[in-house]
Amino acid sequence: MAETLLDIAMMHSDSLIARAREGDKSAQGKLVQLWYKRIYNFSYKFFFDHDLAMEVSQKTFISMHKNLGGLQEIGRFKSWIYTIAVNYCREEARKRKSNRALSLDDLKPGEGEESYRWEESHHRRENPDRQLRHGELSDLLQQCLMELSVEQREVVIMKEYEGLKFREIAETLNVSENTVKSRMYYGLDGLKKILERRNITKETIGYEL
Amino acid sequence: MNYKPDEGMLMAYLYGELTATEAEKVQSYLQQHPEELKKLQGLGELRTVISHIQDQEVIAPPIFMDDANVKPLWQSNYFKTVLSIAASLLLLMVAGKFLGTEISYSNGELAINFGGKKEPVKEIVQPSLTEEKVKEMIQNSLVNNNEVITANWTEDQKRLSQSIRQNLDQNSKKIDALMKGAADASQAQVRGFVASLQNENLKLMKDYFQLSTADQKKYTEGLLVDFSEYLKEQRRQDLMILQTRVNSIEKNTDQFKQETEQILASIISTPVGKTKNSY
Repeated sequence: MAETLLDIAMMHSDSLIARAREGDKSAQGKLVQLWYKRIYNFSYKFFFDHDLAMEVSQKTFISMHKNLGGLQEIGRFKSWIYTIAVNYCREEARKRKSNRALSLDDLKPGEGEESYRWEESHHRRENPDRQLRHGELSDLLQQCLMELSVEQREVVIMKEYEGLKFREIAETLNVSENTVKSRMYYGLDGLKKILERRNITKETIGYEL
Repeated sequence: MNYKPDEGMLMAYLYGELTATEAEKVQSYLQQHPEELKKLQGLGELRTVISHIQDQEVIAPPIFMDDANVKPLWQSNYFKTVLSIAASLLLLMVAGKFLGTEISYSNGELAINFGGKKEPVKEIVQPSLTEEKVKEMIQNSLVNNNEVITANWTEDQKRLSQSIRQNLDQNSKKIDALMKGAADASQAQVRGFVASLQNENLKLMKDYFQLSTADQKKYTEGLLVDFSEYLKEQRRQDLMILQTRVNSIEKNTDQFKQETEQILASIISTPVGKTKNSY
């Protein structure tokens, strides 16, 4: 994962977190700006749903604003904020499980002219055809990811897309590092089988793109 | 090699979260187990494939934080604590007031009273004797006492000296009698003891000499027997040596005789003119 200026800023935001913890409104606002994209993307990959991802992100940052004063170690901010996000994701997942009356559109958002993806995509300057294929592949892979269990999915997303270390994931989920590694192993193994079933391999992707 | 990395170890290897030593161990294991290596490579390829899931671009919406969590001073925990302590103290003071509590400290004594302080009741005693009377009474008492003590002391001294004298007479008589008895007894006992000692010594000496003579006799006999046996043995050995020497001389003589005969025979058989130097 290529490091952007945003990533670098996130990694060196200790003083910002310290000021935000003291109640500095401006620092809190900057923290939201820094972390919103990551939390949104984590939630999006978890649900494959824009609205739910937005809801979880907003709840996460409201909770961060309320509870930041109680954060003991600034160095643990990353795992702390992902813990909040994971808890809201699980809560929403439980709600969704109990309320099965969801339309197909809810499960596959972003297809159509209203899609935020079209408006916000940073690949706007690329070839539109290629961009469309990329989008389709991304959605296809996202669907495969959704077939994993919640435990495996959250670990795979945190490791593969959010770049957390196994130790940080263990802290986030409050489980042992070995459990995290085991979930990751079986998550990847499961994902491999799902992709094979759908005939998605490195070669077929290369051909498609 | 029995080392087999578990799934966790393989995952840490895949994501480069192992130390150099651990990574080397896993690597050597994978080199020895191509099927495991292939599986791990498959997972690596899978990572490449799933990395095609794109990040969604999103703009952080303005999140308005209300100041609900900014509590006024009177709602802060610190203020509540102080207020509760103050209220408790006030309650105690009010209760103390109604109960008439009084706390006093004097002469190292802390006293807490409820319902007012009670003074100790003091009894007023009217003096019936004057100081002169008391002095006179003491004086009289002392004089009487001294007289009685002096009389008693004189009488006791007399009785005591008389008793001592009587005791001394009796004791000296008893000691004399005892001394005499002891002297008589000791002379007879000493004589008897010396006589018995002499008898015992004589007896012991007699026994000793008897035993000693018998042992010496026995020892000398033994010695003589041993010496005669030794001489016999010596003689036998000397005889054997002589016999051996005689045999040896006899043997040598025979041999000499034979050799002489052979030499003579050879001299006789060899003609004088035909003798030649072998050199």
